[in-house]
Amino acid sequence: MAVIKTLDLEKIYNSTHVPVKALNKVNLEIEKGEFTAIVGPSGSGKTTLLNIVGGLDKPTAGKVFIDDEEINTMKDNKLINFRLRNIGFVFQSYNLIPVLTAKENVSFIMLLQKKSKKEMDRRAEELLREVGMADKFDVRPNKLSGGQQQRVAVARALASRPKFILADEPTANLDTASAFNLLDIMARLNREEHITLIFSTHDQRVIERARRVITLVDGAISKDEQFNQ
Amino acid sequence: MKLLLKISWRNVWRNKARSIVFILAIGFGLWGGIFATALMKGMIDQQFNSSIRNLVSHIQIHHPEFIKEKESTYTITRAEEISSMLDGNSKVNAHAERTVVSGMLANASFTSGVEIYGINAEQEKLTISLEESLVEGDYFESVSRNPILLGHTLADKMKISPGNRIILTFQDLNGDITSAAFRVSGIYRTSNSLNDERKVYVLQDDLAVLLDGYGIINEIAILLNELDETNAFRDELQGLFPQYEIRSWAQLSPDLSFMNEFTGMMLLILISIILFALAFGLLNTMLMTIFERTRELGVLLSVGMSKVRVFSMILLETTFLVITGSVFGTLIGALTVALTQQKGIDLSPFGAEAFSDFGFDAVIHPTLDQVFYLNLAILVLITSLLASVYPAYKALKLNPAEAVRKE
Repeated sequence: MAVIKTLDLEKIYNSTHVPVKALNKVNLEIEKGEFTAIVGPSGSGKTTLLNIVGGLDKPTAGKVFIDDEEINTMKDNKLINFRLRNIGFVFQSYNLIPVLTAKENVSFIMLLQKKSKKEMDRRAEELLREVGMADKFDVRPNKLSGGQQQRVAVARALASRPKFILADEPTANLDTASAFNLLDIMARLNREEHITLIFSTHDQRVIERARRVITLVDGAISKDEQFNQ
Repeated sequence: MKLLLKISWRNVWRNKARSIVFILAIGFGLWGGIFATALMKGMIDQQFNSSIRNLVSHIQIHHPEFIKEKESTYTITRAEEISSMLDGNSKVNAHAERTVVSGMLANASFTSGVEIYGINAEQEKLTISLEESLVEGDYFESVSRNPILLGHTLADKMKISPGNRIILTFQDLNGDITSAAFRVSGIYRTSNSLNDERKVYVLQDDLAVLLDGYGIINEIAILLNELDETNAFRDELQGLFPQYEIRSWAQLSPDLSFMNEFTGMMLLILISIILFALAFGLLNTMLMTIFERTRELGVLLSVGMSKVRVFSMILLETTFLVITGSVFGTLIGALTVALTQQKGIDLSPFGAEAFSDFGFDAVIHPTLDQVFYLNLAILVLITSLLASVYPAYKALKLNPAEAVRKE
């Protein structure tokens, strides 16, 4: 069964005098455990697709289903709660909460889910160990390198045990070593724990690791390739 | 909630310089407001208390015609009955029965119109604290025959000192003009220079001889234990003695009553201005904060933080900021009031006479009720919450997809 399914997805931006069609009849199915990279030139609609699939934006037309539940018709508050329970986000600029320590950043999501303190602590520490940040529990983001921050962001994205993780250009701001390190971690999570990953990226290093590469051109899927790795 | 509190508190200190500047602004704003209010309240309270204590008392009883004509023939014939009723009443602190005559006071070089009060010296010690108001001489002690007390304004004008002789001229009860020599025993000073120029006090028995009538009572002044009981007690007396005009301090001195109400309004306006400025300062600071943290707020909304929580977080941040500033401002304000309350602030270099002319003491003792601090705290909190609603609303209106990408 597909974790994510889109039907004739369209997105038109009317912010300028000339309407811009960012997505054009996108039909897509992503199965549980896939490691998918969405690629394409700037302005091809990668981020828009991720935003709509992640429930951060609404399509102009078409439908989005997560585990057969249609999310594009959900009210704001329900959608926020849905995101909290089902979707993990990793952003290009890490976007950790600067006033919280690494462990608090990870716990924060579970706190929103009303988990017990004991469970939050246990899982936050476990996830931070998993991404190689065992010695940085009590360090705030401004004392961490970009790569370390992104690893904490991955731990945060995993904290809510989401159905999938959406990562928008997660390696764009990282040096090569940090990028490889991050990709190793995410590939392992995908391989060993069957975490479904969807990346939007320009980064060849990511594309090489992905098992499915969807290419968008002018808002439409121009190529959808599967690889066995 | 605990983490939300933690995040909000830490967010307050993210931009330390800005938060400290804002906290200082709130603090010094409130300090200024508290001290100005205490100063104004102290000034008005002193004037009010002094007027009640030294001039009008809480209640006065007159013959209705006496009020119109100022003729000493209009007497309170039931004075003894009233006096014994007052003696046995627990609400009454003190009372005094007076004979009042309009007349002329003269010495070798000056003449002045005065109101001559024939008093019982012991009663007036308690009722208008006359003995405490003396600035020169003594309280009817050094002069054995016809002693008189004058106000300092009159004494200065007529260049009179204790021991000097003056002549009082007035109409007796038979309508004949009578004159007598009095010797100045003491000079008093109240906070009202007009009063000090107009009223002179002699012993009731001395005046009775000259008036050709004993037991003439034209005015009964009553000092109560509690100000709040004035109106009820006045009504009670009026019911018992309907033939007399019985007036409360507010009726006797409408300016005093107006001043009392006007002060409350002035203080409210003063505090409102400060709170208004606080609200705009806060609005500006919080809008800047929202603008600077758009991406972070976008992330919070993206990862599933509910709008209620985001809204609460902004309100909490604002509240922390305001509470910190308010505690600081209230502490230094209360400390300043406490430090200056006992000794008072001497404003006589700015013109003691001018203050006295308007019925104020030149030494002001700032004062504030604890209720004021409580009300202020509530008002500040309400203002801060109201001022933070718009920034919090702006935060809610962010589109998470756009916000997370904001540079």
